[in-house]
Amino acid sequence: MSGRDVALVCLGCVGIGWRPAPAQRFSIGPHAVLVDYREVSSGLRYSGAGFGGLATARYRKLSAAVAVERLTLDPTSTSTAGAGFKATQVDAWVAYDVASYASVEVGLMRRTADPGFDAQSMGAVRIGARSAYDLGPGATVSFRADYLAAPKFSGGGRAAFSLDMGLGLDVRLAGRLHGVVDYAFERVNRKTDPGGTGEVSAPIQQTLARVGLGIGF
Amino acid sequence: MRRRPAVVVSLLIAVAPALGRAQAVQNATVRRAQQAYDNLEYRQALSLGLAALRERLAGAERARVYELVGFSYAALDSILKSVDAFKQVVLIDPERQLDPNRVSPKAYSAFDVALRQVLLVRQLRIDSTGFVAGQGAVPIRFMVTQPARVVTRAIGQTNLLVDSSAWNGQVNLSWSPRLPSGDPVPAGVYTIVVEARLGQNTFSASQQIRVLHGTVDTLPHLTGLPGYQYLPETEIPPQSWRPLGLAFLYTGGAAIGTLGLESGNLGASSKRELAVAGTAALVTGLVMTLRKPAPRPAEGNILYNRLLKEQIARRNADIAKENVTRRQQVQLTVVPLKSGAAR
Repeated sequence: MSGRDVALVCLGCVGIGWRPAPAQRFSIGPHAVLVDYREVSSGLRYSGAGFGGLATARYRKLSAAVAVERLTLDPTSTSTAGAGFKATQVDAWVAYDVASYASVEVGLMRRTADPGFDAQSMGAVRIGARSAYDLGPGATVSFRADYLAAPKFSGGGRAAFSLDMGLGLDVRLAGRLHGVVDYAFERVNRKTDPGGTGEVSAPIQQTLARVGLGIGF
Repeated sequence: MRRRPAVVVSLLIAVAPALGRAQAVQNATVRRAQQAYDNLEYRQALSLGLAALRERLAGAERARVYELVGFSYAALDSILKSVDAFKQVVLIDPERQLDPNRVSPKAYSAFDVALRQVLLVRQLRIDSTGFVAGQGAVPIRFMVTQPARVVTRAIGQTNLLVDSSAWNGQVNLSWSPRLPSGDPVPAGVYTIVVEARLGQNTFSASQQIRVLHGTVDTLPHLTGLPGYQYLPETEIPPQSWRPLGLAFLYTGGAAIGTLGLESGNLGASSKRELAVAGTAALVTGLVMTLRKPAPRPAEGNILYNRLLKEQIARRNADIAKENVTRRQQVQLTVVPLKSGAAR
């Protein structure tokens, strides 16, 4: 494990808390990750798991969240890929509440593949909205949809249509301890023009689930 | 036989004035006169009464003899002489009253005429009372038997004029016990003197009173308004399927979004991740549906309680202001003492 991995593990193990209660200003906690990744064609499929951490902060109507995960992906049984790869994914959001149940948000996403040539590394800007409702005392469900603007890929290309959507659940388990479950689906319509022979579709699709705990402060 | 009851009643009426008096008589002549009257021997009672008047008698006994003489004259139909005798009675004892139900009409009318022929101030009464200085008055009642100029004064540490008017009959006055400066009269003993003047005739009666100073009671602050209770500021909403419905809605949105956005080139995506999050959301929604709902703020009750608090605070502010005024006021208590002599 490299020094960077250790740092990520330390960050991920600190805590998690996707949507802290209104009285809480800050939360942090670790989570486990399940991930499914596909690229270019149905034959290039990877499945894996990982771990990470998430920190959130809230000040009045402003809220922010940062999630960092270390993922290990292996080719599935039906995949034509020869070897798996590791990836580091960073997601960040800054949201502003426009209503008690709705907020607009902007953010960043960056996924770096290791080794770099085994999968596409990409980065993009998020622009979207989130809706959240209280299911009951200490339980909140949320749904978000973000447009991934200005995506950049390590292998080049462009993506006019890229979306990221998710389902989130935050349940207060006891006192400051929260349980967090999050689902994210990412679809990137990447197109490349290798050798100037015309654009070729090379889409990227990822589903990711986070399950973790968080401590609110 | 029919006349007998009427005769008995008239005899009882004639005898009635003497009842209850004989036992207090000291003078022998007076006692004999009383016995003669009791035996309906009016002439003998009259001669004995007149003889007794020539003897040395105390004031009360003399008044009793004049009364006996007056009744005897009335029984003998000498009304003018009866009136003269009753005049002497009321001059000696101005407070003397006859009960019209117990004396003969002739004697009562003679007594009434006698009262109206003599200038008297009778039945001076001052009741106990208490009030805040400047906000109440002392009731003074008396009777003047003839039309006269009546001057009423309160004499104590200072000499205060209560009233000066022409009166006749029953008089009711209200005296606000204040000095000319407006301050309440000092505490102490005062004598209320009522002086009636008609030509050369004057008559006065007096009554002593004690004026006491005290502090005015302050009002207690309110902690609530009668009939208005604070309402609970939280209420437990009725149990509903809303949490599960919301969980279905959000999970369904995520599922539909996933299915709709899947790329055809990449094949169907893994549903493992969606199943994890979706199941957690649905289970949480079901648990929250089955759980007892948490109390939520009752906006109407909160507003009502706020209005009630404001109302109580406003009333308490008024009470505090009123108490400041009350602390500067003086509570006067007036208590009548023994009656003074009539002159």
